[in-house]
Amino acid sequence: MMAIDRHAWTNRWRDWHPAEKLLPAFGLLWVAVVLPPLTTAPLVLIVAASAVVWGAGVPLRALLAFMAAPAAFLVVGAPFLALSLDLSAGLTPRFSPQGAGVALTSTLRALAALSCLAFVALTTPVVDWAALLRRAGVPSGVVELILLMYRLIFGFVERALAGRRAQAARLGYSRFDRALRSSGLLAGNLFQRGLTRARWLEIGLAARGYRGELRVLREERPLSRARLAVAMLGVGLTGLAGGLLARALS
Amino acid sequence: MSVPLLAARGLDYRYSGGISALRDLNLTVERGRKLAVLGANGSGKTTLLLHLNGTFRPTRGELRLDGDPVAYDRRSLDRWRGRVGLVLQEPDDQIFAATVEQDVSFGPLNLGLADSVVRERVNGALDALQIADLAARATHSLSFGQKKRVAIAGVLAMRPELLVLDEPTAGLDGQGVVRLLDALQRLHESGATLVFSTHDVELAYAWADDVALFHEGTVLGQGEALAVLRDHELMRAARLAPPLLLEVAGALGVNWSAAPPRARDDVLSLLRKRLGAQVISGERAAEQAAPATAPIEGGT
Repeated sequence: MMAIDRHAWTNRWRDWHPAEKLLPAFGLLWVAVVLPPLTTAPLVLIVAASAVVWGAGVPLRALLAFMAAPAAFLVVGAPFLALSLDLSAGLTPRFSPQGAGVALTSTLRALAALSCLAFVALTTPVVDWAALLRRAGVPSGVVELILLMYRLIFGFVERALAGRRAQAARLGYSRFDRALRSSGLLAGNLFQRGLTRARWLEIGLAARGYRGELRVLREERPLSRARLAVAMLGVGLTGLAGGLLARALS
Repeated sequence: MSVPLLAARGLDYRYSGGISALRDLNLTVERGRKLAVLGANGSGKTTLLLHLNGTFRPTRGELRLDGDPVAYDRRSLDRWRGRVGLVLQEPDDQIFAATVEQDVSFGPLNLGLADSVVRERVNGALDALQIADLAARATHSLSFGQKKRVAIAGVLAMRPELLVLDEPTAGLDGQGVVRLLDALQRLHESGATLVFSTHDVELAYAWADDVALFHEGTVLGQGEALAVLRDHELMRAARLAPPLLLEVAGALGVNWSAAPPRARDDVLSLLRKRLGAQVISGERAAEQAAPATAPIEGGT
């Protein structure tokens, strides 16, 4: 999570209007879902990954790390789609060619969709998400809460890790029962510190005139129609290439 | 004498558990000065500072802002906090927004200013602390020293007449302290009155105009920095050792009625001048002795 956040804040496309990233991502997703997956889905995967790596300058390693866990689920799950249960001979799993087709196409589609998600997640910082949520009509109180939680999570994780390290340094995790006891103590301690922190944060905000509303300046990102047009053209070409390839192969 | 910007008279404060934190405390903040509240850690300095912007309300005694007794209703507090800015010791207690720019905009927006004015204020505050390059950064990715300056900028953007800072140099390294004090000095020169708490006698000597000696919940004495820090009896009562530079300057026999040296380099150059030839021969001796500090070889 920390790595995704870091790249979202530091990639080359960070300052682009979020719509310039979200619309092409949805476009690619749509292409991967409606067009023949055997040719289109791999194309979408390649296009989205190239955009992330060469366009936004996010290291390939970060992209692979993002995709690894869900991709592993997909790959492990897919073979079961290729099996069908034969109930007549008492629950015998049987390989079905039709199932194999379904397994292949759905895995390809899911991977393509995953790359679209990675494209948005690795290039768009949280403040832009918040702006989108606001525009979509989510109440400002909810958006404020999301942003505040986002801000506090980092401090919380830091403290939790430091606490765990300090306990481990005093052999708090050397045996199963000790580990249980230590993590319980740590949880209690973090809870207490969280309450103290909240109180101080309230004092700090009150000193700056807090009256129950966390209002801040919104980020202003000009929408570049040219960039959006180029991106959508790319999406269109990807779909076209996928469709034509599929026709040529059949 | 003119009416002080802020004055506390006979403050008592008890925590809800009945523990006494402040007792019969007097403090005067004069306009355009740098006042250090000097005392040991855990002596209640933070509790005092939290009274200066109305966060805590004294159990007894009163505060006067520009000579007028303060009130604690919503409206008065808002006005008060617009004039007296408070920077907490721990910047994470103050920074809540996702980006630096957004966080600094919070205070001025609460003053009810228009977005364009707020944007100007934010840029001004970031410039004043020389962190304009951090404007678009995520607040959680900043170093401690950077966060400290962002926290100050967030208060500064409200353009308070009085800036109250709780242990501003705590947790900063030497370079960080120098940069922060530079920034605060510029603010001061542009007209801001500063109050800061510290346990560091050297900092108080080098930088404060006035010092209030704080000990166990009360101010033992307040006055010009030099007069307070040279008052051995008062310093002893506050369980504080006098600043080393002041003692060295004293040992060199400086003229206290003229401006005595307060910067480290000034004291050192004075020392060199007094010792003259001895220092030069001493430096040679140090050069000759230098090999002794080389890494020890053949230890195994």
